[in-house]
Amino acid sequence: MELLFAAPALPLDKAGKYVAGAYVVFVVLLVVYLAIMAAKVQRIEKELRDVAAIAEEKKEAQAAPGRGSETPLASHGSGGGGTGV
Amino acid sequence: MYGKGLKPLSIATVAMLALSLSLVFFYAPLDGDQGFIQKIFYLHVPLAMVALVGFIAGGVFAIAHLRTDNRKWDAYSYVSIHISVIFGVAVLITGAIWAKASWGHWWVWDEPTLVSFLIVFLLYATYYPFRYAIEDRDRQARYASVFAVTAGAFVPLNFMAVRMAQSLVHPRTFATAEGGLPGEMMLTFLVSLAAIALLWTTLVKFELTAKSASGQVKRLRRALDAPAGGGGSRIAPEVS
Repeated sequence: MELLFAAPALPLDKAGKYVAGAYVVFVVLLVVYLAIMAAKVQRIEKELRDVAAIAEEKKEAQAAPGRGSETPLASHGSGGGGTGV
Repeated sequence: MYGKGLKPLSIATVAMLALSLSLVFFYAPLDGDQGFIQKIFYLHVPLAMVALVGFIAGGVFAIAHLRTDNRKWDAYSYVSIHISVIFGVAVLITGAIWAKASWGHWWVWDEPTLVSFLIVFLLYATYYPFRYAIEDRDRQARYASVFAVTAGAFVPLNFMAVRMAQSLVHPRTFATAEGGLPGEMMLTFLVSLAAIALLWTTLVKFELTAKSASGQVKRLRRALDAPAGGGGSRIAPEVS
């Protein structure tokens, strides 16, 4: 414990590395978090494209005579590639 | 709904962070005792304070959830705790770097402030496995809220206990007989605190917006797919 009280201030060349390290850690954590959130937003966008495609198919099926009630919407299920933008 | 005001909030956060960094490195004087290494103080302490307040906020939102049974408050509680845990990681790492530079050790086990923060952090680290171990979404939200209230009450108690421990190692910056921080340092600290608090608010809002969008897309998909559509994700609370 006495060692802690005796610790002198570090010279600028040594202290600079520690200060830079602390701020870089903070920035890296922030960037990692934002990257994860960006991936999440991309996934939501993909899901939204899928839902839009299902809605469009449903609309087309309802518009086509005699086919409206037979369209198996459940076949889209989960997943599936996105169509259109 | 959650995304409203996110853009101006983000701009204010970036501006405040830039101002804070400018003050830290170009305005605040060097500390007579610690020298340049004291610059870590303007990052480490605001992060710790905001993380602890965030944990308490998570508990307050959890009380609102238990009182109203509105899932919105559960989402607020979850996201508050989530962002505070991330801030907690930053606190522990920046604290270790500061300790190494000042004391020559990455960690000091007989220092109450360090150990108490680690205990709080580890307590909240158990929030995730506790929450996701419960399948039923209603029970999951209710139990997680009870956890958040209990742990949230522990945070100020823990803080007071540490203050009463009267450690001589960890500096008591704001309540010393010598009068605490000088003016320039105090101003820089307050700006840094405001910047980190804004960052926390922005990230909470951002995450809530993403969860809300995800929840609404799932609801839409269930409505389109089949009448007996499956449940939502159990990884995180779904908000609409």
